[in-house]
Amino acid sequence: MRADRLSPVAWALVLLGAAIMLAPLVWTVLLSLKANAELVGNSGAALHGPYTLQNYAAIFGTSQTMRWLLNSAIVSLGTTAGVLVLCSLAGYGFARLDFPFRRTLFVLVLLGLAIPSQAVILPQHQLFATLHLHNSYPGLILPGLTTSFGVFFMTQYMKAIPTELDEAAMLDGASRFRVFWKVILPLTVPAQSALAVFTFLGSWNDYWWPLISATRSDMYTLTVGLAAAQMNYAQTSGLGFLMAQAVFASVPIFIVYLIFQRQIIQAMAGAALK
Amino acid sequence: MPGLQLRGVAKSFRNTEVLSNVDLDVAPREFIAFLGPSGSGKSTLLRIIAGLETADAGEVILDDRRIDGLPPGQRGVAMVFQHYALYPHMSVRQNMAFGLRNARVPQDQIDRLVEDAARVLEIDPLLERKPAQLSGGQRQRVAIGRAIVKSPKLFLLDEPLSNLDAALRLRTRVELAQLRERVESAFIMVTHDQAEAMTLADRIVVFNDRRIQQIAAPMEIYARPANRFVAQFVGSPAMSILPATLADGGTLASVKLGDGSRIDTSVGRDSLPAGAQVELGLRPEHVRVVLSGEANTEATVDLVERLGERSLVYARLRDGQQVTAEAEGTTTAKVGDTVGLRIDGAAAHLFGPDGTGYHRAAA
Repeated sequence: MRADRLSPVAWALVLLGAAIMLAPLVWTVLLSLKANAELVGNSGAALHGPYTLQNYAAIFGTSQTMRWLLNSAIVSLGTTAGVLVLCSLAGYGFARLDFPFRRTLFVLVLLGLAIPSQAVILPQHQLFATLHLHNSYPGLILPGLTTSFGVFFMTQYMKAIPTELDEAAMLDGASRFRVFWKVILPLTVPAQSALAVFTFLGSWNDYWWPLISATRSDMYTLTVGLAAAQMNYAQTSGLGFLMAQAVFASVPIFIVYLIFQRQIIQAMAGAALK
Repeated sequence: MPGLQLRGVAKSFRNTEVLSNVDLDVAPREFIAFLGPSGSGKSTLLRIIAGLETADAGEVILDDRRIDGLPPGQRGVAMVFQHYALYPHMSVRQNMAFGLRNARVPQDQIDRLVEDAARVLEIDPLLERKPAQLSGGQRQRVAIGRAIVKSPKLFLLDEPLSNLDAALRLRTRVELAQLRERVESAFIMVTHDQAEAMTLADRIVVFNDRRIQQIAAPMEIYARPANRFVAQFVGSPAMSILPATLADGGTLASVKLGDGSRIDTSVGRDSLPAGAQVELGLRPEHVRVVLSGEANTEATVDLVERLGERSLVYARLRDGQQVTAEAEGTTTAKVGDTVGLRIDGAAAHLFGPDGTGYHRAAA
């Protein structure tokens, strides 16, 4: 038997696993295609027609949905770009430069991994209020830029790149920044892809900080906006609409995955093999 | 003065001194080999010259310009790293052009320099490939090419052959010798392989214990080692060192070995320090396994290595001292035999109590 051929038992297990993972997604999509009234009292109605797009129409009927989509895109892309720039620079600094208190600072960064965001939410809220940053894009993006995980991840990745490359580049007349930009950064593309995906997903799905910081509806992100647009008792009387919202909010992430599928899988495999 | 001068270079890592007061002059176009055991400071000195380490004290001067304060890229040196250090994401062409781009050389000139160097090194069909698509030998050539295009005043080679297999290493050694004839630069090569040092270098700098032990031409190092360390480090198998007692009288020194045999050397008696205790150094080719009639001592065989044209006999004198001798390739000597040894005293070396070497007067 060739190593890349699965046995029937393995096939069965893989299919079972896939079914278990796909079932909730399929169920969500089916529910989203049913009229709310039909689902009241019997969500099993989702298993048969008639199906309708009225829930999706209702999402766009809420005038600000496209605005929230735009907000989410700006915040997620801005956070991702900022995290990549900051974590790459910080990672290079920790991995390569010799400066006072480097180890102490790195330990402080690692300590950041252990502090939940909820623990600092009050001072953070006050700080942003003082700086008049609530209800603004910087207000929504800035907290997401301080990621201990990202700095740690990039530091470890850059440490694994041989320092001989930096030295060869310096002998080739490159400045410190050019070494970073032309030699080291291109070699971290797999790590950057992984970090970009994690950051984008985290930022897109974030509910907690936008809920607190964005109090004006035109600054809502999609998660906050859709939640706010839900009627009371949505779980029972508006189940179809709720599911349509969930599907709608997931579509951009699905598209990101389709585009960057190869890099994401490479990054995950690379991280696992290291 | 053109060429490279090192003056009083010293370096410590934390509290460990790795180089102490090193002076060295390298002439333009000279090929120098830094030879020494691991941790002897040779790589550190190479990195100080390159600007990858900062010396704690001393001066590095290249072609009358003090370079120890300059960044690596402005020193006029190029380096070939042990693991090649090619930029993995760049093609061979981009690897070779990177230094020239940083120096803002015009693009048409870059293309010409890169293609010329590639032709000389026979890597022109590989210019568009990435390093991962090259064999070890090809990567080595690209690394050399990357250094050549910059026309440096000084090439620094950090164990450049150590990652190649035996056959390729031999071929590359010949190619390095040919390359050296074609370029106008001086070369400094770090190696712990004495065969590389002996075959390539005009002069060898032997390092040990933070200091330069000897700077001399390869055969000079071999024939007139400055001290016991150099004598034993250079030459394979190593020189046998036997405790000996100086005999009285004569203009040339005679010594008595522990087994009672007397060896007449060609070392001037006057050159030796006071005291009777010395050590006798014997290269294997100066100790022959002979018939008992021609022998001046005898020994018990511990091991015979048959190398084809000759055999090496590791033996033990009657007082237990170990000595390495040469025999014909067809020798019948075997482990446990007692064999006669003919020691060529005229070629022998003497070492004083402090390890300093004394040799026969230069011819």
